Amino acid sequence: MSAGLSQDRIKHAFLWPAFLLVLAISLFPLIYALIVSFQSVRLVPPLPPRFVGFDNYAEILQSARFWGSMRVTATITLASVALQYVLGFALALALHHNVPGASLYRVTFLLPMFLAPVGVALIARMIFHPFLGPVNDLFTTLGFGHVEFLTRAGPAIAVLVTIEVWQWTPFVTLLMLAGLQSLPHEVFEAAKVDDISPWRRFWDITFPMLLPLSVAVVFIRLVEGFKVIDTVFVLTGGGPGTATETLTLFAYNEGFKKFNLGMTSALSFTFLFVVIVFGTIYLALAQRLVRRVT
Amino acid sequence: MNRLTIPAAALAALAAAPALACEPDFTGVTLTVSTQNGPAIASALQAAGRSWSERTCGTVNVVEFPFGELYPKFLTAMSQQTGDFDVIGFVPAWLPDFAPFLATAPETFTQGEDWEDIHPVYRERLMVWEGEVKSVTMDGDMHMLNLRADLLEDPEEQAAFEERYGYPLAAPTTWAEYRDHAEFFTRPDEGLYGTAEAYRRGGQQFWYFFSRAASYTNHPDNPGSMFFDPETMDAQINNPGWLRALEEYKAALEFNPPGALNNGSGDVRPLYAGGTVAMNIDWADSGVLRATEGGPEAEGTVRTAMLPGSTEIWNHVTGEWDSFDEVIHSPFLAFGGWQLGVPADSRNQEAAWDFVAEVVSPEVSSAALVTANSGVNPYRFSHYADTQNWSAIFTEEEAASYLGAQRASLDAPNVALDLRLPGFFSYTEVLEIELSKALAGEVEPQAALDAIAAEWNRLTDEFGRDSQLAAYRASVGLDPIE
Repeated sequence: MSAGLSQDRIKHAFLWPAFLLVLAISLFPLIYALIVSFQSVRLVPPLPPRFVGFDNYAEILQSARFWGSMRVTATITLASVALQYVLGFALALALHHNVPGASLYRVTFLLPMFLAPVGVALIARMIFHPFLGPVNDLFTTLGFGHVEFLTRAGPAIAVLVTIEVWQWTPFVTLLMLAGLQSLPHEVFEAAKVDDISPWRRFWDITFPMLLPLSVAVVFIRLVEGFKVIDTVFVLTGGGPGTATETLTLFAYNEGFKKFNLGMTSALSFTFLFVVIVFGTIYLALAQRLVRRVT
Repeated sequence: MNRLTIPAAALAALAAAPALACEPDFTGVTLTVSTQNGPAIASALQAAGRSWSERTCGTVNVVEFPFGELYPKFLTAMSQQTGDFDVIGFVPAWLPDFAPFLATAPETFTQGEDWEDIHPVYRERLMVWEGEVKSVTMDGDMHMLNLRADLLEDPEEQAAFEERYGYPLAAPTTWAEYRDHAEFFTRPDEGLYGTAEAYRRGGQQFWYFFSRAASYTNHPDNPGSMFFDPETMDAQINNPGWLRALEEYKAALEFNPPGALNNGSGDVRPLYAGGTVAMNIDWADSGVLRATEGGPEAEGTVRTAMLPGSTEIWNHVTGEWDSFDEVIHSPFLAFGGWQLGVPADSRNQEAAWDFVAEVVSPEVSSAALVTANSGVNPYRFSHYADTQNWSAIFTEEEAASYLGAQRASLDAPNVALDLRLPGFFSYTEVLEIELSKALAGEVEPQAALDAIAAEWNRLTDEFGRDSQLAAYRASVGLDPIE
């Protein structure tokens, strides 16, 4: 009995410090931020904090700028992740089937992923310059007019999607290639013996078997995509106007330019809520799809 | 015994020698000085750090951050009393937000010849907040017109210009003349464009807009009424004076090189220095860049003039345009130059102020003025008077024009100060957003200005109209309302 009590004490002695550490490092700031989100807290100009209830959240939900940034974020994320998945999967298939020079491509395709997004955005700013950039040179050579890539809403969003696709398709390729290499060879050999066409082998065997992995890869990219800020910050600054402003950039401007901490905390929790809701719906739909296909 | 005593005394004297050289002695003190990424300003601080170290035996560690991160970094550190910085290099627009956390300059600092040598526009207006000296100018800044003598003094150009516009080719004195000049020199087939201004959001675009607007809104009879009504704190940015400025600023795009909507102030400089444009609006850096990097064709061609003015200024009290017989110049102190401040939580106050004195001393600052990429521009009477100091860069004529334009801008009776108000970034954020929409043609100029005015009024109410009004009046040199 006393030995049991003593063991309990030892367990507690080991558990409590870790628990308190986690509480202090991760939970306390989260709870503090939640409390601040119900207050009006401004560092500039310094105003005394006051409790405002759900006013910050109400203001966010009534703000056209918030909904605009939601729309921009969703557009960039959904378009770029869809393209990343299709291209990434296609590249993985090509590499898996050992196209000539596959090992060279394998390294080359991965390079964009290792670059700092800020550096990529700076290079992109030069490439898509309306008059000095090579993309516009190509357009001119082909007989098209100059496109103001970075100062018109539509083209600017297209450029941001392009950069995201260019930089993060390798991530999808890497994971899908790993998935392809882990598939059992016997199934594909049997399909070949039965003279099943490559297209049917893909749709009826490869794709369903890789669907759970695909769901996970797309989910990771969607969550990451929602956090896009650096490329937008450097490339367009959210402009023209707020036409390319993402949710994270909006929160950054409120927090670190205007020091409107109450509103920024509320924005962060709204953002978290949006991601959780979106993620839950996505996973529920994906689970249903996986069940149906497999 | 004596043999031993003499070398010991000599050793003691040698050991004491460095200590005697330290005046004052800050041995063991390391100052953390922070500003934007170099070379501009940071290199000047590093150079001053070396001479300060030699004099005082202290050490200086210059910590650099990208410009966009300075404001949040400094404000967070000072408001949280972290004591991270002993001296900070920042811009006057942030002084209202920083002032509560900055130490006041010691009395010994604000006396004497060196102090009186600083131009009063800086000394008495930009360095002072609520009656106390909270910051010290280390770089004088204002927008100016940079021109080219190779075009202005070309007889063929002069004849062609006069024939087309009916008046002689010279530095434009009004914005209408500025437009004519820009139009005249816009020759895309020759690779020459009329002018270069900054239009990119985040590229300091709004200071270019302010520089025009000052001429139409800074009424000499209503001091301090450019941005807000100094009696009510109602935003003035959507009045007809501002509208005219925005329409002209947008129209000038036609005379800028292609893709000008993407140009920030950093892009405007090389366009002038390299000869792509006939003139530009910029701080004093453009002239130096053309003289040092412009190549043989640019030699001796730098000419600088005060910003154009206007014979019509909007009177917000009467709600009418007032006409003047003479051109009223309202040179705009855009940005206002870099300043140094000592955070109140610095643990090395005495050494920090001594370092600030070193940076802005006539000797050190004069050397910085003519050091390539130091980013330091004149702000002392002695700087403007000493044309010889510039002989390594400019010809005598260039130096006289360059320094004369700056001195004339500061001495102008209707000089316009930059916006300085608590919550500066909140006010300028909406300004940048709506400006970029108007410049891209997404909204009409009046609609953009109305949106800015509405948001400025809302912010003023949120921050407290009375306190903002008091701060605004202080920033433009008006007495508090009784």
